[in-house]
Amino acid sequence: MERLSASRHALVAVDDEHGRFRVHRDALRDPEVFKDEMKLIFDRCWLYIGHVSELPEKGSFVERTVGGRALIFVRTRNDEILALYNSCTHRGARLCRDKRGTARNFTCPYHGWVFGMDGQLRSMNAEKGKGFAEGISDDDSLNLRKVARIDHYRGFYFVNYDPEAIGLADYLAGAKNFLDLMIDQAEGSDLVVLPGEHSYSVSGNYKFMCENSYDGYHVPSTHMSYLEYLQERDASSDSAGELAAVLAKYSEYGEGWGLGHGHGGMESWVPTGRPVAQWVPSWGEAAKAEVEETYARLTEKFGKERADRIANSQKNMVIFPNLVINDNVGFTIRVVEPTSVSSMRITAWALAPTNESPAMRKIRLDNFVGFLGPAGMGSADDVEMIEICQQGLEHTPVEWNELSKGMQPCADRRWETSGPSDEAQIRAYWAQWDLMMRGEPAFNQPEPPQAKEV
Amino acid sequence: MALDEKLLNELLLRNRIESFLYHEAELLDDWRFPEWASLFTDDARYDIASLDADDPLAADPATSLFVVSDDKERLVSRASRLMKKNAHSEYPRSKVRHLTSNIRFNERADGAIDVRSNFVVYRSRGDKTVRYMGEAHYELLRVDDGFRIRNKRIKLDLNTLADQGRLTIIL
Repeated sequence: MERLSASRHALVAVDDEHGRFRVHRDALRDPEVFKDEMKLIFDRCWLYIGHVSELPEKGSFVERTVGGRALIFVRTRNDEILALYNSCTHRGARLCRDKRGTARNFTCPYHGWVFGMDGQLRSMNAEKGKGFAEGISDDDSLNLRKVARIDHYRGFYFVNYDPEAIGLADYLAGAKNFLDLMIDQAEGSDLVVLPGEHSYSVSGNYKFMCENSYDGYHVPSTHMSYLEYLQERDASSDSAGELAAVLAKYSEYGEGWGLGHGHGGMESWVPTGRPVAQWVPSWGEAAKAEVEETYARLTEKFGKERADRIANSQKNMVIFPNLVINDNVGFTIRVVEPTSVSSMRITAWALAPTNESPAMRKIRLDNFVGFLGPAGMGSADDVEMIEICQQGLEHTPVEWNELSKGMQPCADRRWETSGPSDEAQIRAYWAQWDLMMRGEPAFNQPEPPQAKEV
Repeated sequence: MALDEKLLNELLLRNRIESFLYHEAELLDDWRFPEWASLFTDDARYDIASLDADDPLAADPATSLFVVSDDKERLVSRASRLMKKNAHSEYPRSKVRHLTSNIRFNERADGAIDVRSNFVVYRSRGDKTVRYMGEAHYELLRVDDGFRIRNKRIKLDLNTLADQGRLTIIL
């Protein structure tokens, strides 16, 4: 097991006695730490590559950068889903330059080598017996290289660069149950990634975006202007009520937890409106009837308690180390791709159940883009918070970030549960990060018993 | 030489459209967003498709993810929110400059006017300056004191916002 240099001091400090959980700022600003992270975390964890609905037919492909490596996510002519390195085995050219499409093969534009969609070398563009030695490609070493591991959970595909990694299902641990809760809004129909992708940069360490993506604590302060917008939009609503009432309910309702292996989630309550199934007045009366029907079906299928959670709670989840799946104001997949210690690329998509009506689909997308994305009235403010964090910590003598909110006296706080405005889910992330960075066994631990069964 | 009435009318209309677009750009550069919002009709839309859309002018916000998809109500909210100190992404405010050119227009049989213009918008914040360039498509309605915008759709000549990061100003 590769270890960090022994001289490096601990970057995560847990003080049980005083209820403090601190992260050293070098974890967010030191380029040497970042290099180690790419090897010790990104080359060992399951990383999200794409959703099954993005490869609708044989020959479909999507070009994507995953953990710093250029890949092609492809459905072969034999209907197998693979991840290939997007690099010609001849001189290294980035072979596929289309973002997505359907093809019969990949042809390198440089010297004309041709590969099947399964990566199999088909032609070296040279006459037989001339140039290349006979049998040079017989050992398959000139086929496009496949990523060591690829697997999916309910259509969400992940890759792993470590051939020895534990299986995806074990890796996802308690995140599976929380994802199930989100997926259940489709009532058994498929989910689909809708056309249109948000792709933008953020000048901050990628872990700041992970922290932000399931941080309930920041909502009333960072997003007050969005909450005010909601209040104005749905002014006549009994369900929305006064802002003070919204904030009071927000701090009472819900929970945050570690879900094992560094994953974490939170549930909260904000009256944004949810196509499945929380109506707000600005959607109009026709939508109200449809939302109520959906809620009734959910209740019948899942029972009142689960139906209520599917319909009303805002769900945020980070799958370690860089995937956000949030089902709140929109149902979104957000990949946080680190590009340096102080920069990242965000790529985000909208998910939807295939069984919803065109009217609800329209509302879903409209709701999404009001808050989320580079022009959204929420996400852009989050980006500002992340960027000022990075700016603020770069050169200060203050060494530690404080992530202690909600810590209670107990033997092991790493997997504790806490309120939605607490930081337990973020502590779960950092605890796993710390284990992996120190080269400690991080995946053979039993599933944390405190991880909430959801 | 006899005055060509048709040409004169077209020149006059061009002049009015140009003046209107320059006025709009000035309101945006000067952070007079509520005034900007009042240039729109009650049934207006302001849309920017996702930058990877195959056809950003044909894309439909009801079926695909947009970057901006505002009806009049949200356009007004966007405008008034940006004026607040707690619109953090634009506090401190960016310095903004719109350059508008290549104005083309077509009067429709129903009296509305389809207008296209090319634009470059510069945004400076802190020590960073970024550009947004593209084509703006308008549907203008004539009113007593000039025009109102019923539709403004931005086609950005960008593949991602890797250089720009955010799109928090109004294009």
